[in-house]
Amino acid sequence: MLPHTAETAESTRTRGKGRPRNSETAGPSLVEILNLIRSERATTRQALERESELGRAVVADRLQLLSDLGLVDESELGLATGGRAPRLVRFSARRGLVLVATLDQTAIGVGVSDLSGNLLTEHHEAADLTAPAAELASRLAALFHWCLERQTPTTAPWGISLSVPGTVPSVGDSAFMTATPPVLPAWEGFPLVETLTRQFDVPIWMRSSVETMTMGELHAGAGQGLRSMLFIKVGRRIGAGIVCDGQLYRGAQGAAGLIGALPVISDGLTGTLDAMAGSDMIQREGRVAADSGRSPVLADLVRRGGDITSIEVSQAAQIGDPAAVAILTRSGHLIGQVVATLANALNPDMIVLSGTLVQTNDILLAGIREAVYGASHPLVTRDLRIIRSQMGSSAGLVGAARVASEAIFAPAFLKDWIIQGKPTLHPDFAAFRADEDGAAVPQPEPAPPSVQGRSGS
Amino acid sequence: MTIFGLGPHGERAAPPERVSLLPEDCAAAKAAGKRVAVVLHTLNGDWTKLQISGMLGIFGDCGVVVTEVVDCGFSADRQVAELDRLIAAKPDAIVALPVANEQVVAAFRRVALAGIRLVLLENVPTGLLPGTHYTSLVSSDNFGLGRMAAAGLSPHLAQGAAVGILGFAADFFATNGREVAFINWMQANRSDVRTHVLRFGAVDAAADLAQRMIADYPEISGFFVVWDTPATAVSIRLEAAGRSIVMATVDLGEDVAISLAASKPFVSVAAQQPFQQGEVAARTTVLALLGRPVPAWIALPGIPVARDNVADSFQIIWRKPAPREVLRLLGMAP
Repeated sequence: MLPHTAETAESTRTRGKGRPRNSETAGPSLVEILNLIRSERATTRQALERESELGRAVVADRLQLLSDLGLVDESELGLATGGRAPRLVRFSARRGLVLVATLDQTAIGVGVSDLSGNLLTEHHEAADLTAPAAELASRLAALFHWCLERQTPTTAPWGISLSVPGTVPSVGDSAFMTATPPVLPAWEGFPLVETLTRQFDVPIWMRSSVETMTMGELHAGAGQGLRSMLFIKVGRRIGAGIVCDGQLYRGAQGAAGLIGALPVISDGLTGTLDAMAGSDMIQREGRVAADSGRSPVLADLVRRGGDITSIEVSQAAQIGDPAAVAILTRSGHLIGQVVATLANALNPDMIVLSGTLVQTNDILLAGIREAVYGASHPLVTRDLRIIRSQMGSSAGLVGAARVASEAIFAPAFLKDWIIQGKPTLHPDFAAFRADEDGAAVPQPEPAPPSVQGRSGS
Repeated sequence: MTIFGLGPHGERAAPPERVSLLPEDCAAAKAAGKRVAVVLHTLNGDWTKLQISGMLGIFGDCGVVVTEVVDCGFSADRQVAELDRLIAAKPDAIVALPVANEQVVAAFRRVALAGIRLVLLENVPTGLLPGTHYTSLVSSDNFGLGRMAAAGLSPHLAQGAAVGILGFAADFFATNGREVAFINWMQANRSDVRTHVLRFGAVDAAADLAQRMIADYPEISGFFVVWDTPATAVSIRLEAAGRSIVMATVDLGEDVAISLAASKPFVSVAAQQPFQQGEVAARTTVLALLGRPVPAWIALPGIPVARDNVADSFQIIWRKPAPREVLRLLGMAP
């Protein structure tokens, strides 16, 4: 956690003597009740009492406070089962917004989600991530403002969640990013996180694109409800997202799933999977096939002045160009061999393949399937489904939104902001902002009147 | 052909040629005897008429019967009601232009759940996925259209000029792309130009907004309105207010074509190809009904139109001669 100033530490510390303040002791039960409502494990007062094992008066009291904070809504009636229709308790997911962005090598995606991680708006456009980081930050901020302007009613953002094309190291005990990690060479020395925090005055979270896409696929795509899933993104780099017991597995340093760095052998040559099967290899081999005349489709494209990227090779393979089919098949087999190793280790319910190359042709998918089925234990492949993602880059945005909503409502973080009503008033964030601005730590806003006189639990 | 935009989920565009029908496809479709409903935002306007015309020809060639063409009158509630009615009627496919985002997304999900193939035009409500909820989106390169309009307007703007931008308040993939691209082009290529943005919720509110804008920012010397019908209303209001302001828009309607030929107030139009788009939407639907794989996003490039190519562009886009008044203003007819 961030170091507190003496003043902040005092303001949040539980008193050592006498009865604790009621607003202090209400915290744990508020967190529990809000998360029961948010996860829809309890949608009525009766269910809340049952699930939380708290008394009726305490549940009623906490609901009143959550309602005063605008975090829950009880205006809707449920279905009657004999007597009076119960009043439904709903999480007010539109109380705040989350700004989300995916930064890819060649594109930016931006969006706005509600606090449950549901995407409300999204926009994607081409971008060059090798351009100066200040330009990127400026474009990102302009698009975020544009997204916010379009929301009615106007709602303040509660956080920003970024999906980036590189590994994001774990940030230790801190609940949000306080510095820009070294993700891309072009960002070296540019304080992206600090700049966006200053401009929008909200905490920021960041994950690799493979991690956010895995989260998106798990919560809104083909992986919904699964406990075990592998997500493989194929592009210039090849990475894996690992879901175990329904949770994204990040590893000790946040570097789980870097399968692109594994050595593979192809045609007697040894190299990393990225180098031997990624889109750079496909583009290079495609150009060689065009120049040598082995690929009539690609040679014709060059004759007409077209450029050959991995996408053109992929499209040529899709329409049956033999040389392009051979390139994609070889790439698919190499990726499949590595994925098979992971599949044998983790025994997933499903393997989801993603990335433009996978989406524009069936050959790569077929190659991967063939290699996985050929190199796996029969029990591993008995009910295994290997499919192509349907979410495109939306998976990254949806996943980034989930990262933020899980972080905002993580009990350890939530307990310190819930009485204040929003995470931007969390003492650690206030201290971070004050540190950034070189100003005094602002006092937390007074709790709403209904906090006064609450009974503890 | 360069497509500048990305799809609603960040997809790269597939060219219209990717959805071509072979004689055996048409024969298979005829044998299958499929029924399709078309649900549009409005049935008024040349763009819609050309879309429908393009679709009907292809569907006719393939023996696919269009059972109805629904006018939603730009109303989300009406579109939801019409979709629910169509679910009961069970056509094999629906070609639809979603008029809104959040308000209609659940109804489109219900269509998908009912097993009816969906081909969308111009807009995808957030949360709908290709392959799961809909088959394909067929649209213009709206990001490219916004860039095109900005590039066409730029030479008519003095150094340090101010431009008013009238976007569409509904969260709509097509108009969002045009607005973002227009502003982005100006920021990247004319950093001296200041932009002011307002968004209209109803077409007939655009002129009022324009009037408010020039009252608030009297220095505005150019306008971009995200499509031609509200743009024409804005031009009439500005003229009535005695303001001479150059304008750019999307779609080459008859009024806009005449104005382009007269060199005022419209000086730049980024035109869609609605007839071709209708054909592509129909071809995509037929292939989807036959179970053939189709791309998630098929995009058609725009056509930049100025005074010097307005007559021939009109023919390409509308499949009929340019209006007499256009030809007269160009000195091509008495």
